[in-house]
Amino acid sequence: MIIAERKPFAEIKAMLAPYKKILIVGCGTCVAVCLAGGEKEVGLLASQLRLALGLEDKRLEIGEITVERQCDLEFLRPLCDFTADYDAIVSMACGAGVQFLNQLCSLHPVFPAVNTTFIGVNNAVGHYTEACRACHNCYLGITGGICPVTMCPKGLLNGPCGGTVNGHCEVDPEKECAWSRIYHRLELEGRLDNLREILPLHPHNRTTTPGTVIHPAYKRRYGPNE
Amino acid sequence: MSKLRETLEAGAFPVVVELKPPKGTGVDEMLAVVKALAGRVTAFSVPDNEHAKMRLSAIAAARLVQEAGGEALVHFTCRDRNRLALESDLLGAASLGLENLLLVSGDYVTLGDHPQAKPVYDADSVQLLQIAAGLMDGHDSAGLALTGSPAFFLGAVVIPEAEPLPPQLMKFEKKLAAGAQFFITPPVFDLDKLRRFREHLPEAPVKLLVSVKVLGADEVAQAAAGQWRKVYSLPPDLVNDLAGKEPEDILALGVKAAGRLVQQIRQEKLADGVYLKAKGRTDLFTQVLDAAGF
Repeated sequence: MIIAERKPFAEIKAMLAPYKKILIVGCGTCVAVCLAGGEKEVGLLASQLRLALGLEDKRLEIGEITVERQCDLEFLRPLCDFTADYDAIVSMACGAGVQFLNQLCSLHPVFPAVNTTFIGVNNAVGHYTEACRACHNCYLGITGGICPVTMCPKGLLNGPCGGTVNGHCEVDPEKECAWSRIYHRLELEGRLDNLREILPLHPHNRTTTPGTVIHPAYKRRYGPNE
Repeated sequence: MSKLRETLEAGAFPVVVELKPPKGTGVDEMLAVVKALAGRVTAFSVPDNEHAKMRLSAIAAARLVQEAGGEALVHFTCRDRNRLALESDLLGAASLGLENLLLVSGDYVTLGDHPQAKPVYDADSVQLLQIAAGLMDGHDSAGLALTGSPAFFLGAVVIPEAEPLPPQLMKFEKKLAAGAQFFITPPVFDLDKLRRFREHLPEAPVKLLVSVKVLGADEVAQAAAGQWRKVYSLPPDLVNDLAGKEPEDILALGVKAAGRLVQQIRQEKLADGVYLKAKGRTDLFTQVLDAAGF
């Protein structure tokens, strides 16, 4: 899932300074799980803003709503009519949700309330770690299900760098070296032969942004005949 | 052909000394080392933004070394350039008469003095060896033909004290397959560890330069405080002998220890040559060479 962290309150407050009536839009999927932008966090942010501005004798009218997924047109479209009464919109979704909302509600400024950080996993409530760089060329079948692109800070494809100390990473000594893990895992699985071949240079052309994926079924239904 | 290659192939135990390109344009100190030692050592090694700390371009520094009468060994790190820039600079280095290369992944940017810089690593060190070998064969990494191809002597790094060792040996094999013609180790202080590592080397002849380093007071203090975290170990006896002494005394004792190591490595044929690291200082290099009987 997408992991995000809420922006510092002062930054959000400063962005909203010119406005009198705002709508905070939460997202009920990834950012809700990682406690950054779900329904509860919408309420928290609204309360924080009311309290802070109240102490300054300023008035800000705040609307609150959370949709199932801001990155999904199906859930987002009904929101557009609802936004008309507001001066500005604050999205608590990941950057994809912010931009989708911005695209659909084109008459209002849309501000992000979170910093989108990575694609990761939920180890425990409040503990999230990065697990995928969305590199368009998955190596996990070769590397024992441990991603060298993500788990090695250098993204090295052909083995450990020279900085590994006692199986730990040069960059963050708290973390295990990805290549030590990969080697160990493949050894346990009897698949070390996987590492004999030199992996070629990564095809970065596939990661040219912004990416587009069109499912074959969509193409068959809506696309030109091939 | 490079003197380094000739010396290695002749079994004549080359000595390479590591220079410190300046952080700035003041190259006099660096070139003074070359002028003082050109007749005494085989080559001068020029790191490429070593430890991810920005310094004068390694290629420019290496060219200046050659103009000052020394032979250069220029490092290329994958950290700072994508494949276009690496290939272009490899051709550039060749066109400036630079033949000896040390191709490395490179320390990560957050460990250096520009921690917010974008790390590149478009290629890793194995792939960079392949790229350089491809250029020597007359084509770039996209398979396109070159007009004139370079002649390189390709070096790579291997870590004798890597823990765990098997992944390091796997990478070593890949570097050999990718075209590495010689290897350089990080500093070695414990020759038993080097002897054990040599047992893992393939039967095919591999040219190995072992690094010998003159320890500084800061490193001794770090080790004495139990904060040593490098890819090579320091024998506790050595740390105990040096800890608490004045910086110049530590250097003097470090020089003697380095001289002894060079002698032992040569006598026991534990390596094909040595790579000296002594803060880029002429006086220290000279003392190590004297102590080692060169």
